[in-house]
Amino acid sequence: MNIGIQSNHADRAMTALTLRLQDEVFAIDAESVREILDVVPISDVPNAKAFVGGLINVRGRIVPLADLRLLFGMDRPPPDVNTRIVVIEVDLDGEPTIVAILADRVLDVTEIEAATIEEAPKIGMRWRPEYVRGIGKRGDEFIIIPNMGKIFTLEDG
Amino acid sequence: MSKSVLVVDDSASIRQMVTLTLSGAGYATLEAVDGEDGYAKATANPIRAVVTDLNMPRMNGIEFIRKFRAHPSSTGVPIIFLTTESDENMKRQAKEAGATAWMVKPFKQDQLLAVIKKVAGP
Amino acid sequence: MTVMDPRDVFHQEARELLDQLEEALLDLGNASDDRDLVDCAFRALHTIKGSGSMFGFDEVAGFVHEFETAFDRVRKGSVAISPPLVQVALAAKDHIARLIAEPGRHVADGEAILKNLRAIVSNDEGSDSGDTFPLAGGRVAAADPSPVQTPVQTWRVKFRLAENALVLGANPLLLLDELRELGPCEVRVKTDAVPPLESTDPEVCYLDWEVVVTTNRDRQAIDDVFIFIADGMELSIETVAADAADAADAPAADKAATAKVVEIDKPRDSAGAGAKGGTSVRVAAERLDELMDRVGELVIAQARLSQLAVASDDANLKSVAEEMERLASGLRDTTMGIRMVPIGSLFGRFRRLVHDLSRDLDKEVDFVTAGEETELDKTVIERLADPLVHLIRNSIDHGLEVPSRRIAAGKAARGQVRLSAVHTGSEVAISIVDDGAGLNADRIRAKAEEAGLIAPDAKVADHDLFQMVFHPGFSTAKEITALSGRGVGMDVVKRTIEGLRGRIDLGSRPGGGTTVTLRLPLTLAIIEGMLVRVGRGRYSIPLSAVEECVELPRDAEAANSGRNFLNIRGHLVPFLRLRELFKTRAAIEPHQKVVIVSAGESRVGLVVDQVIGNSQTVIKSLSKLHADVETFSGATILGDGTVALILDVAHLVNFGQEFENRLRDERIGRAA
Repeated sequence: MNIGIQSNHADRAMTALTLRLQDEVFAIDAESVREILDVVPISDVPNAKAFVGGLINVRGRIVPLADLRLLFGMDRPPPDVNTRIVVIEVDLDGEPTIVAILADRVLDVTEIEAATIEEAPKIGMRWRPEYVRGIGKRGDEFIIIPNMGKIFTLEDG
Repeated sequence: MSKSVLVVDDSASIRQMVTLTLSGAGYATLEAVDGEDGYAKATANPIRAVVTDLNMPRMNGIEFIRKFRAHPSSTGVPIIFLTTESDENMKRQAKEAGATAWMVKPFKQDQLLAVIKKVAGP
Repeated sequence: MTVMDPRDVFHQEARELLDQLEEALLDLGNASDDRDLVDCAFRALHTIKGSGSMFGFDEVAGFVHEFETAFDRVRKGSVAISPPLVQVALAAKDHIARLIAEPGRHVADGEAILKNLRAIVSNDEGSDSGDTFPLAGGRVAAADPSPVQTPVQTWRVKFRLAENALVLGANPLLLLDELRELGPCEVRVKTDAVPPLESTDPEVCYLDWEVVVTTNRDRQAIDDVFIFIADGMELSIETVAADAADAADAPAADKAATAKVVEIDKPRDSAGAGAKGGTSVRVAAERLDELMDRVGELVIAQARLSQLAVASDDANLKSVAEEMERLASGLRDTTMGIRMVPIGSLFGRFRRLVHDLSRDLDKEVDFVTAGEETELDKTVIERLADPLVHLIRNSIDHGLEVPSRRIAAGKAARGQVRLSAVHTGSEVAISIVDDGAGLNADRIRAKAEEAGLIAPDAKVADHDLFQMVFHPGFSTAKEITALSGRGVGMDVVKRTIEGLRGRIDLGSRPGGGTTVTLRLPLTLAIIEGMLVRVGRGRYSIPLSAVEECVELPRDAEAANSGRNFLNIRGHLVPFLRLRELFKTRAAIEPHQKVVIVSAGESRVGLVVDQVIGNSQTVIKSLSKLHADVETFSGATILGDGTVALILDVAHLVNFGQEFENRLRDERIGRAA
């Protein structure tokens, strides 16, 4: 299932924005990132899927706010000075959609060597494998590359 | 004020094609959607040349040419008409009405420019 | 500025022309010998041919040409209009539409249509489509882009313009320039004929020219220079030996000529300046949407400004804020006005539908329309097309009886379907009225029982029974005809209308006919909303749905009081606690309010913590990620920049009922 990525990235590095959710580092394709915001007021959407339970105003545009920590079974401490909102564009069934995700902290923009990216292991992971596109390595650190398209399209997300 | 080439055609696509071609070559343009509109615009604006269709609702091209030629501001203004086939009868009527030149549809952009240049100058 | 591709413009234009053509043809079917209609049909055809050929739709141009040729006898009046003729012309119109939509796929079908047409217009006359339409290679009288090259030769060209040539726009300077482009020229002018100044007519050209030109182009190239002014001019073109060209210096003829082409002063036609009111500009639909978005943002920003001004003591700020409010609301109204389109554009499309249905079902139908000038937001109009097709089809297919049945019932053999639109306050009501048999309550009942929608012994008022037809999968037609068996049911119609924040009323008289009325808001973009607070969240309720606000009685404040009813002037009104529906965690506040809203035929109270006030609400749709949350129709941005959800009252009430049912089941379950 992840063969496609491997071949796509076989010859080049992935430029990624890295961010921290709880203790894990996640990498998001830098090309999909629209902007990074400080925390803004969040309006709840009653009875929506829990991980997209909020809406924010991004320059006059109403954007759903997702909390990936919920999908990855993490604690959800309230926002602090390091919390950021990352606005990205994802492809939902062929339709480019702007969504925002919460990050406990935004780290940096980095190159992840294609050679270091591996397919997500089917076992040894607490998370649903569909949510993970691959695992990269930077030094001793593992970097989780989430599959944004899947995360936002899977019905039971 | 710079003088415009007045493009009279009820077909929006042809009007647009003609004005885009002309404005691309540096001519100022003005559009009208039928003979009546064309007459109103031709007599209210400084006109350098007219490109008109013949087959139009409300007032057709031949009537329009005739009426415009009866108006003093048409003096010296070349009128080019567009016709679908080389219908000699229509062509004769349009020429009698006072047209200067003609083009047969379909034509290409460079052909249009050549004719405009010929009758209205570059 | 983005400019539409002329080919796209052609597509749109062709649609409009084909509509015009269809309209004219249908009218001809009724009033067979109206010359204006015939001309109108011809004009539309001719324009399609001309524009089509310009943009490479050669199949279209070719077919229309053949069609025009065959139809010409109708134009000349030697063949009368007949129903079969209208039928084949309509088929031709459909064929043209297909040729445009899918080039290269339908050419063959055209031949059959032409054959039919020729058979109808000329019973005896052999089909002579003699002159086929010349397609490629657009012959322009002048300026062949690929010049013919011949050996270099010298020509002497003598010419004198026709007397009226200058008036008609000929310009000798351009002619000379053109000759110079052919090759080196010597130009001589003869001024013999110029009269004394006082008797000179500035509009007449008195000069003769003699030009010796050396060129590698052929004789045709020189002829072409004069092609447009050849009538009435004197022109001679002859070859000269190359060395015989005498090198006389060209006199200053050009200047003399310039002086003649005088611009006489142009008396402005004052009537012309007031150009016919109806000038219009074509704008891509997306740009209108974009404009509306911008205005929406402006309204939001203006709301923030007003909020600041209220909190401030600065009189200047207050006055600027007021001015901004006035401007923003004016701009909003204008912008919404631009988006308004007369509904007649939509009505026109149904004439063909009625025509075809009437033929296929052997029912005579008068189709009457009224209120075509009624304007609605363009998005609403676009989305109304399918529901209206369905409703009209229903009226003719299921509503109207066949002529024999009608006569037996003492009615005229011809049935009537009336489609009308009218403004009522902030709504537009669109009615489809037929004088058919009316809804069959017994049959609907049987069907509803069969589908398990009502119990066999339940007493149901006709009115409620009729509502059953909006239930998914409900269809009463015993034999599904080819026409109505399209799989779109009334439930889809209802959903579409509700999606437009509208509603449907259904009325029927046995034997007297059926009336369906669609009530729609004027625009989708901005509504008046009542802003309320539930817990920490703020929500906007469309003001059109709000009837009144009351205090929640103290004894009803407790969540588990068991009965959620209010007594409003003697009527029982059920209420829903939004904090329960929205799973609000914040503590219950005293002095809760109830906003009474109308949902369809019933009234329901919504219990909120606070009513904040009314405001202009710019509706933004929710993303796909929230498509499953039906209780909100969209969201808006408030003056302080935060987001508030807009309640979808009908869906909210449904959701509330399901919620209560579930709650009750749980309680009973626990008790058992």
